Amino acid sequence: MSGDNLNTRRLDAPRQELADAYSLPANFLEIEVTNPETHGVGWRQRYTDYEIKMKTNLPVFKMKESLVRRRYSDFEWLMNELERDSKIVVPALPGKALKMQLPFRNDEGLFSESFIEERRKGLEVFINKVAGHPLAQNEKCLHMFLQESTLDKNYAPGKIRST
Amino acid sequence: MAEKNVENTEEQERLLDEALQVVKMESFHMKRELDKNKLMDGLKHASDLLKELRTSALTPKNYYELYMAVCDELRHLQSHLSDEFQKGRVVSDLYELVQYAGNIIPRLYLLVTVGVVYIKNKPEAREAILKDLVEMCRGVQHPLRGLFLRNYLLQCTKNVLPDHAIDESEKQEGPPALQHSIDFILLNFAEMNKLWVRMQHLGHSREREKRERERQELRILVGTNLVRLSQLEGVDVNSYRKIVLNGVLEQVVNCKDAIAQEYLMECIIQVFPDEFHLQTLRSFLKACADMHPRVNVKNTIIALIDRLAQFAAREEDSGIPSEIMLFDIFSEQIANIIDTRSGMLLEDVVSLQTALVKLAFKCYPNRVDYVDRVLEATMDLFGKRNMDSVPNGSALSSELYNLLEVPIKSYNNILTVLQLQCFAPLYEHLDYESRKRIGVQMLVNALEHHTLLPSAEQVNSLLMLVSPLIQDQADQPTDIDMDDFSEEQGLIGQFIHQLYSEEPDQQYQILNKARTHFEKGGNKRMIFTLPAIVFSAYKLAVRYKELSDEDERWEKKCNRIFEMCRAVINTLCQAEIAELPLRLFIQGALCASELQFENHESVAYEFISQAFSLYEEDITDSRAQLAAVMLLISAVERCRCFSEDSHAPLRTQCAHAASRLLKKPDQSRAVAHVAHLFWSGQITEGDGEPMHDMRRVLECLKKAIRIASQCMESAVQLQLYVEILNKYMYFYEHGCTGVTMELLNQLIKKIREELQDIEGNEESSMIKVHFENALEHIRNHQQSGDGQYSYEGITL
Repeated sequence: MSGDNLNTRRLDAPRQELADAYSLPANFLEIEVTNPETHGVGWRQRYTDYEIKMKTNLPVFKMKESLVRRRYSDFEWLMNELERDSKIVVPALPGKALKMQLPFRNDEGLFSESFIEERRKGLEVFINKVAGHPLAQNEKCLHMFLQESTLDKNYAPGKIRST
Repeated sequence: MAEKNVENTEEQERLLDEALQVVKMESFHMKRELDKNKLMDGLKHASDLLKELRTSALTPKNYYELYMAVCDELRHLQSHLSDEFQKGRVVSDLYELVQYAGNIIPRLYLLVTVGVVYIKNKPEAREAILKDLVEMCRGVQHPLRGLFLRNYLLQCTKNVLPDHAIDESEKQEGPPALQHSIDFILLNFAEMNKLWVRMQHLGHSREREKRERERQELRILVGTNLVRLSQLEGVDVNSYRKIVLNGVLEQVVNCKDAIAQEYLMECIIQVFPDEFHLQTLRSFLKACADMHPRVNVKNTIIALIDRLAQFAAREEDSGIPSEIMLFDIFSEQIANIIDTRSGMLLEDVVSLQTALVKLAFKCYPNRVDYVDRVLEATMDLFGKRNMDSVPNGSALSSELYNLLEVPIKSYNNILTVLQLQCFAPLYEHLDYESRKRIGVQMLVNALEHHTLLPSAEQVNSLLMLVSPLIQDQADQPTDIDMDDFSEEQGLIGQFIHQLYSEEPDQQYQILNKARTHFEKGGNKRMIFTLPAIVFSAYKLAVRYKELSDEDERWEKKCNRIFEMCRAVINTLCQAEIAELPLRLFIQGALCASELQFENHESVAYEFISQAFSLYEEDITDSRAQLAAVMLLISAVERCRCFSEDSHAPLRTQCAHAASRLLKKPDQSRAVAHVAHLFWSGQITEGDGEPMHDMRRVLECLKKAIRIASQCMESAVQLQLYVEILNKYMYFYEHGCTGVTMELLNQLIKKIREELQDIEGNEESSMIKVHFENALEHIRNHQQSGDGQYSYEGITL
């Protein structure tokens, strides 16, 4: 190219439809972990669970909004299922906090507010990462975890066919 | 780049500082290389400083600061390149060269910088480059970065866009250059709006409010496109309508985003000239109907109306071009908007109608029917939405109040307001307090602008309208502030004098009509309103008297007026007050006495005798009794219309009442007062001469002295003696020969004696002064020696 001839030739892109230009993003997914509640009395009987609130417009999910309660051990179960069945690198869960479970502590230990809040944040990060992964989205375990009110740990593992 | 937008302000400052440091340093290197004519190295550093704009960590505000710093440095690069171009030293494939920059942000900023330098020096390449740049910028889809990049494009191209319809020579080559400029800006606008709207979907939905705040901070970037469009001088009404407005509205309507729509519609109104708006009202208002439900279109439309109303006021000679049916367009489109947007709150609907009324008034001050049309439409909407009564204190109540206030304040003539057919029915929807406030407004307005209500029908409609001030209402509160109440009623009393017709017969109708309203007001209101009616009626009687040559039935009419007044005053008597009606009767008697119509004697007699009955039956307080007796005596003395047959019983009645007063000092004073009645009172048989009944005068005065002597308190007694001395002197000087010097000497001597015994205090010294003044008066007469009343024989 020489002189004053600039090479600005291009294939004109088709004009974007207005409806497309201003449409909602097609991959909206938002999961909140909130509202922790501690149940039961006594060592090994007592546990905390959390509200898992999901909103999405991804077609792969049966429900666009769902609300379930899960406890830490349910998250562990999900992580194990994914590690076994899916090909993704499953992110880490917040620590198990073994120290917090020792007896004779001055505070509430595992059930202190600050610990629960810290764990809640960690769980929220974890589940958003997992659920946002396209491959994880095919796993039956994830769908059950997010959208079924009770978690049937004896389910038959498998894939969800995305439409 | 993946780092999150950091909340912490300290952290923000640190990040901004770091970035600014890098910009400063890289720019230093850039300039040094450019000075050494090492263009490639200079561009390398330019690219490095531009890399700072790749951050996602900064808030919009801080990103803006960084962007400004970067722009400053790029200006240096731009002017350097311009110089080099002119010297012919820059290779022309620079435009392609910068596209090898590794990152898209530096690449596009450099491309824009170089492109604009190119255009400046080779205008023939303009079209191609502009199109290229505006398309290439699509490469950045991150909202914040994209918005600023496109803003840079807009800033840089500011002076290179042809802004006028191109001259003859260029006309042949394809579409005119102006069209390109418009297309360029419109495309940039569409892209920026898209990025701006999409910002909404970034991040977590709980942070929505924060994002909305940030979007508001960035809106001016999008709006700048519209400013630029408005600066294209070649755009005329036609191209504005066909290309510019259509293009802009298409984006605004379709983006379905409340924040964008509210802002951009406002922007359109503010940046483009009024002449354009006038020609495109329908398109604009149609777009308003299509806005997102969360957009309060009322604000947009009111802003437009305000602008056009100001325009009409400013361009007084030309005004709104007559071919534009401004009012019709607005009222039709607003109706459509209200119809389409069923979720619109009624208070917003009403405030739209208020704007419309203001527009009608400002642009078409004579078209009362326009205002009525708006009120009618509003009334229908109330009906449609089943809104019967508007609760006090609600937003709707204050909006409706504002609407109804406009005609009052605009016309400054309540007669015009009364012409509005739909004013009253709409007003009826208001709550008690607001109705009352509107009523007060109307009355105050009439008083301020001296509006007279010249017919009974108008009086009737007005008094119906302000009925919360006239009579009790079903919805009024139980506790009423008495101060406010008296103020309102005083206002009505004042206002009654605005009920005035030049035509006396009509005036009679007016008063008669008004009276029927006020008589419904109950005791607490009547004492304020009915006296004003009575006085107006007396005035009317005087007018008939003046017209006696022209109207042969004037006497009958006067009679009728007094008949009405008697009825009104009797109504007032029911309010358990006697002093006020008593005075009104006396006033009526005096008035009748003066007017001398047929029958006036019996009217006056009737009025005085009614006053006597009130005195006897209803006035119990001794002070009020004295005042009433004095008034009655004076009135009988004043009336010239009585024959002896009527006068005699009245005289006797007065004397009787005076001597029956409870307290001695009161008795003494009243009896002395009666003396005047026998002296200067007149009867019709006397042919205009006063009675001069000397015997009775002296009787009265002597009786007054006798009563005074029975007073226990010597100071009171003395005071009365001095007063009676003055009476004696009065009658002496008016030719009452029965007042002899002997009588005077006796009284003076008596006063002197008593004065010696009295205790010296303030009261007694006052009496002394009073007495001395009387003696001084006598002395003056003696010395001037003008014969007739020289008090000869008085020993001082």
